[in-house]
Amino acid sequence: MKTEKAIYLELAGIAFAIVIALLCGFAVILATSAEPFTALSSLIVDPVSNLFNIGTILNKAVPLIFTGLSLAVVFQSGVFSMGAEGQLYAGGFLGALVAVNIHGLPAWIHFPLILVCAMAGGALFAGIAGWLKAYWNANEVVTTLMLNFVAILATSYFVNNVFKDPASGGYARMPYISPDLLLKKPIPGFPAHTGFVLALLAVVVVYLLLYKTKVGYELRLVGKNSRFADYGGIHTNRVIISSIMIGGALAGLAGIVEILGVHGTYKDNFSAGLGFDGIIIALLARNHPVGVLIAALFYAYIQVGAQTMQVGSDMPREVAVIIQVMLVLLVSSQAIFAFLKQKYATRQKAVK
Amino acid sequence: MWQALWTQIADLTLIVVLLRLMTPILLSALGGLISDIAGVINIGLEGLMLLSAFTSIAVGAATDSWVIGTIAGVAASVAMCYVMGFFSIKLKVDIIIAGFAVNIFGSGFTVFLMSKIYGLTGNYSPENLNPIPNVVIPGIQDIPVLGKLLSGHNLMVWISLIAVVFCFVLLYRTPYGVHLRSVGEAPAAAKSLGIPVGRVQYSALAWSGVFSGLAGAYMSMGMTSMFVKDMTAGTGFLALAVVLLGNRNPVGIFFGSLIFGLASAVTTIVQTTPGSQVPSQFIQMIPYVVTIVALVIFAVRKKRKLLTQAS
Repeated sequence: MKTEKAIYLELAGIAFAIVIALLCGFAVILATSAEPFTALSSLIVDPVSNLFNIGTILNKAVPLIFTGLSLAVVFQSGVFSMGAEGQLYAGGFLGALVAVNIHGLPAWIHFPLILVCAMAGGALFAGIAGWLKAYWNANEVVTTLMLNFVAILATSYFVNNVFKDPASGGYARMPYISPDLLLKKPIPGFPAHTGFVLALLAVVVVYLLLYKTKVGYELRLVGKNSRFADYGGIHTNRVIISSIMIGGALAGLAGIVEILGVHGTYKDNFSAGLGFDGIIIALLARNHPVGVLIAALFYAYIQVGAQTMQVGSDMPREVAVIIQVMLVLLVSSQAIFAFLKQKYATRQKAVK
Repeated sequence: MWQALWTQIADLTLIVVLLRLMTPILLSALGGLISDIAGVINIGLEGLMLLSAFTSIAVGAATDSWVIGTIAGVAASVAMCYVMGFFSIKLKVDIIIAGFAVNIFGSGFTVFLMSKIYGLTGNYSPENLNPIPNVVIPGIQDIPVLGKLLSGHNLMVWISLIAVVFCFVLLYRTPYGVHLRSVGEAPAAAKSLGIPVGRVQYSALAWSGVFSGLAGAYMSMGMTSMFVKDMTAGTGFLALAVVLLGNRNPVGIFFGSLIFGLASAVTTIVQTTPGSQVPSQFIQMIPYVVTIVALVIFAVRKKRKLLTQAS
């Protein structure tokens, strides 16, 4: 019964989970803060009280949209990858390398080249996990977790030694990228960069890819029932590898957009868990691209709220973690959603 | 670097460092093993260790007793496991997602508590901490080689070695162990024989809480005497890898931890040797690469076994 009503029910369930998670966070604030109402208002109101904070929300949402999309694609093919973090480093690194070391190209060629290289870096790195999963039957949860460390450590070595900016002193980073290539902030006084436009574009592309193309159809079919897909003549292994690689390309974009929009160059350990936040976003969004957009904005809003709360009151920003954890758990609780559906179905029968 | 490494091997410092670094990996891997065998893969080991590390040092410093501190840390970790079990077994949250949530929670909530209780954000090092003691064996400690090899290790090092034997007996020599394994291999069959599947899975998670709790307590009150934000730094994931590398068997896990401990020990030596040629990052990487290779080897072996059985 994947009708409109079922979708509304799903949405209502997610909204319910969000409310409960927020209430849990509020309860902790009320219980532990000496000035709970200042804390609450700085958590909820401050992020949208001025243009600067709104811009910050958009900027924070950009990489989350990309990693959320990345995992949405992978999850839809039934693969539980946790590797967006490593792919983000691999892609960001390769993209930054091209941005820093190639000179003399006009920006309108150079900029797309950087994006393509970042996508290629992420996709190729993700391909390792895909290959291991498809042909060697290695559990993707474990291989991707391990490959995250491989990517983080390898890039850390390179940025600390081979590609380190000699002028950077004790801080491990590449030389700064030429300002022509960085993402602009088109509106004066508004900190949002144009990465948001790229992220919106990515949402559209991924939506079309998943729901309007043959590749997307095969991908979702393999995710729903890989044996049936196999029986129907789909090369399951090839689909799994390509879905992981598409996910890797999106994660690579997340990395490079964060670099070009916020950091200005590749810095050691710049991500701090964006790839893992992407898992939460994809779960919240039920792996739907439009859902990813909304979930990422909401998530970024909570993050900025946590920061304004840390500044404006006696609560540390880690309170947001409680909200995040409850969100993840409640949204992915199959029992709650099954219960809702069952209750709705029985009520419908009673009406008839 | 080779020079430094050789001196440390010769005067047995490497062994001492190895045992120190191996202990938390071994303990939490044994915890991961028990839950893994019961079919509830616990990837939240990292978060559990952090929770216990903070709880044990906070309680330990407040009560001036490492015993109470350790018990409190283990209790916190076990309680978290029951919450995890409630969500995954009762509310049917995917166990991987539940473990992932525990990791975020452990990392964030400890910092939250640290800043709320002590007003600190980076690290907490109490002045009057009574840490987990070292075991000095009288008589042996004065013998040149044997003394350094056997005496002066932290109590938790010995506990971790005993835990290997304990797990082996628990899994392969008790009725409970049979229940654990049957629940992991064929939950439906186990249920039909009257084994309470849910309860066994809860208890398996609780065991992983006990062992990661001990590992966490050791990290903040034995290996160091402070709590640092995210101090586990991937140990929980290493432990997860060791479970698979050790082919889900306590003895295998012991050797797996030995390899990973060695890689960590060599990393520390390389990092502290000035002008070292070998980049420490690549040595740190060894455990992860070894795990991936091992996973592939196990998978191939399994496939071949199935093929020979079929023909």
